[in-house]
Amino acid sequence: MELAPIFIWLYNKMLEFGLGITAADIISLVVLAVVVFGFLAVTALFLVWWERKISAHIQQRFGPMMTGWHGALQTIADAVKLIQKEDILPALADRKVFFWAPVIVFVCSFAAYVVIPFGDGLIVSDLNIGVLYIVAITTFTIIALLMAGWGSNNKYALLGGMRSAAQAVSYEVPMVLAVLGVVLVTGSMSMNDIVRMQSAWGGFRWNIIFQPLGFLIYVIAATAEANRTPFDIPEAEQELVAGYNVEYSGMKFAMFFLAEFVNLFTVSAIAATLFLGGWNGPWLPSWVWFLIKTLGMVLLFMLFRWTYPRLRVDQLMEFAWKGLVPLAFVNLVYVGIVARWLNW
Amino acid sequence: MTKDELTGYIMQHFSGRLERIENDQPEPYFIVHCDDLTALARFIHDDPKLVMNFLMNLSAVDTKERFEMVYNVCSYPLKHRLYVKTVFDRDHPEVDTVMGVWPAANWYEREVWELFGIAVRNHPDLTRFLLPDDWNEGHPLRKDWVGKDVVPFPER
Amino acid sequence: MTEDLRTEEMIINMGPHHPSTHGVCRLVLTLDGEVVKKCVPVIGYLHRAIEKMCENRTYAQCIPLMDRFEYVTAMSTNWVFALAAEKLSDIEVPERAEHLRVIMGELNRIASHLLCIGVTGLDLGALTPFLYTFREREMILDLFEMTCGQRLTYNYMRVGGVSQDIPPEFIPKCREFLSIIDGKIDDYERILTENPIWIARNKGVGIIPEQMVYDYAISGPAARASGVNFDIRKDDTYSIYDRFEFDIPVFYGCDNYDRYRTRLGEMRQAARIIRQALDQLPEGPVRAKVPMNFKPHPGEVYARIENSRGEMGIHLISDGDKKPYRLRARGGSYNHLMAVPQIAPGLKIADLVAVFASLDIIMPEIDR
Repeated sequence: MELAPIFIWLYNKMLEFGLGITAADIISLVVLAVVVFGFLAVTALFLVWWERKISAHIQQRFGPMMTGWHGALQTIADAVKLIQKEDILPALADRKVFFWAPVIVFVCSFAAYVVIPFGDGLIVSDLNIGVLYIVAITTFTIIALLMAGWGSNNKYALLGGMRSAAQAVSYEVPMVLAVLGVVLVTGSMSMNDIVRMQSAWGGFRWNIIFQPLGFLIYVIAATAEANRTPFDIPEAEQELVAGYNVEYSGMKFAMFFLAEFVNLFTVSAIAATLFLGGWNGPWLPSWVWFLIKTLGMVLLFMLFRWTYPRLRVDQLMEFAWKGLVPLAFVNLVYVGIVARWLNW
Repeated sequence: MTKDELTGYIMQHFSGRLERIENDQPEPYFIVHCDDLTALARFIHDDPKLVMNFLMNLSAVDTKERFEMVYNVCSYPLKHRLYVKTVFDRDHPEVDTVMGVWPAANWYEREVWELFGIAVRNHPDLTRFLLPDDWNEGHPLRKDWVGKDVVPFPER
Repeated sequence: MTEDLRTEEMIINMGPHHPSTHGVCRLVLTLDGEVVKKCVPVIGYLHRAIEKMCENRTYAQCIPLMDRFEYVTAMSTNWVFALAAEKLSDIEVPERAEHLRVIMGELNRIASHLLCIGVTGLDLGALTPFLYTFREREMILDLFEMTCGQRLTYNYMRVGGVSQDIPPEFIPKCREFLSIIDGKIDDYERILTENPIWIARNKGVGIIPEQMVYDYAISGPAARASGVNFDIRKDDTYSIYDRFEFDIPVFYGCDNYDRYRTRLGEMRQAARIIRQALDQLPEGPVRAKVPMNFKPHPGEVYARIENSRGEMGIHLISDGDKKPYRLRARGGSYNHLMAVPQIAPGLKIADLVAVFASLDIIMPEIDR
């Protein structure tokens, strides 16, 4: 059961009511924004619960069990608790910077969903620079992390913010190079075009079959971008007592926390779209395929977190610049030669 | 080296300056005068037949007439042990540091200074250690120390 | 332009409240960016004046105090105190009591090493092995609860033996534990030992050269990982350890990785000792006939045992009374913490946390 016809029907109904095209466009954009925002909020809550259950079962314990069926309402309980906490502002903190940091992180995490194709025809706006747009938006969060670290007026937070910025900037390079391989083969930066390229062979002509090295590089760089173990030095509890968000409390902390999970969903969605065929697939509706593939990638990231220790910050940087970047260039050369040779 | 060999060897090199205590423990016990302490420490550490390089314990005792500092030493390669004491007056409690021979004595001597009031000469860093920074109520482990709110343990 | 870009050294306080300083230890660090230039430990937050308190209690009343002196290996602290008191008197400990002491001591050693390995993983971000080691530790704590009713501070050893005999369910449950522990240690090896991230974080970090071991009187797994083959169970034998066959794992890398491997090896050897002790367990009384008001002979003695953290020693002076005259308790972590300011310069903060965890520093032993 496809969802795109519903939105098209709504749009046509508005035109029938006599609204002009501009008004209908504006209203439909607002509706889409609300729908996407709602979906992501629910997804973030679901992901928090899922992470706690998966980590618990890996560690041979149960996780939340008391609130709702197997703890399903636990995240809502946590959100309510965070909302009613006192919003503490440290005495010597830089007010404007301190205030705007979580806002920017939140906005940038959600802004990336303008170009993610949730299903056949289910994309807010199919920009023809889709991939470039996503890379640019996710880079904005680095500024916000630096703001959070500086504005807290706390040495631990400053260290955390700087480490985080260094890490994010370093891992952008291999990530973009891996994505570039896909763009080369597709010939276009539009996300819908990339998904359509993978619809041959019954919906199974995935890019990962032709570019496994690119997929590997993307997954590793994405783990670092999402600040997940083994690259979660910025939030290392045991060393810096939660790094750059150590001074945040209440709703501001909740924003950082939710933005982290939304980020995780974003990088998984991009991996699924670029390498695993997006919403292509037989029998089931396209948005179901999208969800299955994205949640599969999320599961992979979660398994990483609960298995590996974390890398030290200089080892992390060394790995990015001396390991991943050369590998990404090799991948690019491979894609170029093979694509030309096979006339893709 | 066995207990008798050890005793004989050390008494031979320090005859007249050491006093032996009889006991039935497996290690020899000696009392040395506090002026000879550093020389004895250096000797038992450097001598190739003794190689006493493991300072196991350094404690101070307040027998009610005098203070004693006890050094328990052992040898990593040769595994034998020694129990050495030096005694001095209650009124002028001062002793030389043995950090030159065993750097491990650093914190042990600091603690002895803080809890007993025994001054350790030539120690690089005699500062507050276990007690709070604003402690001014004397040296707790002395036998004549009376604390403000210390309640004696009830006898059965 | 570059003369204006001075970097300042930051003085940061890894304060008493910190998730990874294993108790209340305060480290005042002077940092240059990420690199530690100077490290000064400030202790005394857990000072409970145990030595002074022991001077006012009889020997039986001192034993629960010794539990709290080092609560992770409370059986060993009880044991060394009982050893010191027995050295000053004519008491002969019955055979069954000696075997029970060895079994409890070695079980406690396994529990303590499980804790240390789990917490080292936790500090480095490997959150799962922590839960796995605690699952095995639960089995050991169940065994202890069966015997003396307590899970952490046992008050089990007495002067002249142990306080009570083991219940009949103990031996089958202990054998069940011993049959799975080797497989579980293999599991931990599979998760951690060959893991490239674990090796990158631990190899070459926190090197304690052999001369530093001698200078700072370091003992236990930290010394054996630096190539110094010294184990009090073999070199200064106490109790009935000369009847058991076991090896001493010694490594030569001097770093965190080898300390971790030494502890894994010691756990296997401890399991071996417990099997032999269970096989040889004789019948008989579990406590010698000790008078109600136990009064040892006047004298001074220094007794030591091999604890999981190094050498634990009690210097006991008695004047023939029913209370000790002077008691000085010495723990292995004291010397390890003394050596940390020598190892710290040049390390990064993340490495300092790893070194702290791998040296297995427990604060109550230091502050008493």
